[in-house]
Amino acid sequence: MADNDSPDLEALFDSVAASVHAAASSPAPVAPSPVASPEAGDGNGLQAFFDTVVAEARPGVKIAPSAPVAGDTGEGGDWPSQENVFNRIGQMARQLHTTLRELGYDNILENTVSALPDAKDRLAYVANLTEQAACRVLNATDVAQPMMEALEEAAKSLGARWDKVFANQMTTAEFKRLAEETRAYLNGGLSEKASVVNAQLMEIMMAQDFQDLTGQVIKKIVALAQDLENGLMSALLEVVPQSKRSEVPGLMNGPVVNAEGRSDVVVNQQQVDDLLDSLGF
Amino acid sequence: MPDSKIRILVVDDFSTMRRIVRNLLKELGFTNIDEAEDGAIALQKLNTEAFEFVITDWNMPNMDGLTLLQTVRSSPTLKHLPVLMITAEAKKENIIAAAQAGASGYIVKPFTAATLSEKLNKIFEKMAAA
Repeated sequence: MADNDSPDLEALFDSVAASVHAAASSPAPVAPSPVASPEAGDGNGLQAFFDTVVAEARPGVKIAPSAPVAGDTGEGGDWPSQENVFNRIGQMARQLHTTLRELGYDNILENTVSALPDAKDRLAYVANLTEQAACRVLNATDVAQPMMEALEEAAKSLGARWDKVFANQMTTAEFKRLAEETRAYLNGGLSEKASVVNAQLMEIMMAQDFQDLTGQVIKKIVALAQDLENGLMSALLEVVPQSKRSEVPGLMNGPVVNAEGRSDVVVNQQQVDDLLDSLGF
Repeated sequence: MPDSKIRILVVDDFSTMRRIVRNLLKELGFTNIDEAEDGAIALQKLNTEAFEFVITDWNMPNMDGLTLLQTVRSSPTLKHLPVLMITAEAKKENIIAAAQAGASGYIVKPFTAATLSEKLNKIFEKMAAA
């Protein structure tokens, strides 16, 4: 599930970056990078970057050859339009920078970006614990199930023979044997197996201890993700005016976490069946 | 009732889910079960060994369940193989895409033993009628 997040975010960046390009009517790969690059969280880095962009945008300042400009038809091309583009990039960078500073996002971004490697470790820890728990539970059921099956079978067979006793269909010798076997079942097999099954039930219960640990870790990561999302989203929305955010369609979205108010998802098997029925499958 | 000896391939990238499906199938009387951890490995197994039934997840690395289904349906030797999807993908377009690709059944996770049993029986009934 966590894997879905980064491509989604990337796609969002791409779409926003594309609208920035479109708005500037020129490919301006530098504009979105303060947000996308990890160094963006660093206040000083952002300041330095901002300064260079503004410096480059200033008329009369020689443009470095490393900054390619599409639409430039050659040396000494259409300077006023180029100037315009650089001014706009400069303005956007300043706007982004100011927004991040004013809203305190630069600190939030810095903190969250530095917390990301930690979050990865935490998520790995969650995956590890839940997998261990699942294995413990499945192992316990693997042990307990055959025991219960054996008990059930023995009880059925003894029960059937006792039915014969009550129907007067049993000889004294057979009855004696049945009584002995029943005694052995009650004293030995039953209590022995029951205590083994009980121990496995206890094991299943104890395997749930991951919930407390993973719950704490997940809460921290959720908070981190929210900070990061809020910071990035607000900054992007501030800087990119009227941008059309199109959702990236895909067929591998994983479980629906919140189906409330959504009509494009099903919430139970009945709805799956109804949908397929309605389509004639 | 279907032959309980039929060979079933369970495809899921999570071993826990494979184990659960395997246990549920055992409970339903099916004991001849093999596992694959993604579509690519499943396809390799399907092409080299004989299976009568496939139960697959959707979201898996290397090859996803839909691609596996489409590949099976386009293969002259495998195209009649029943494929039941058990997946967390619950968008309507997913269900429609799976049905159009020729899925024999679609179960959304989390699911119950009763649902699995019902879908299996439905597929076997359809196969018997065909």
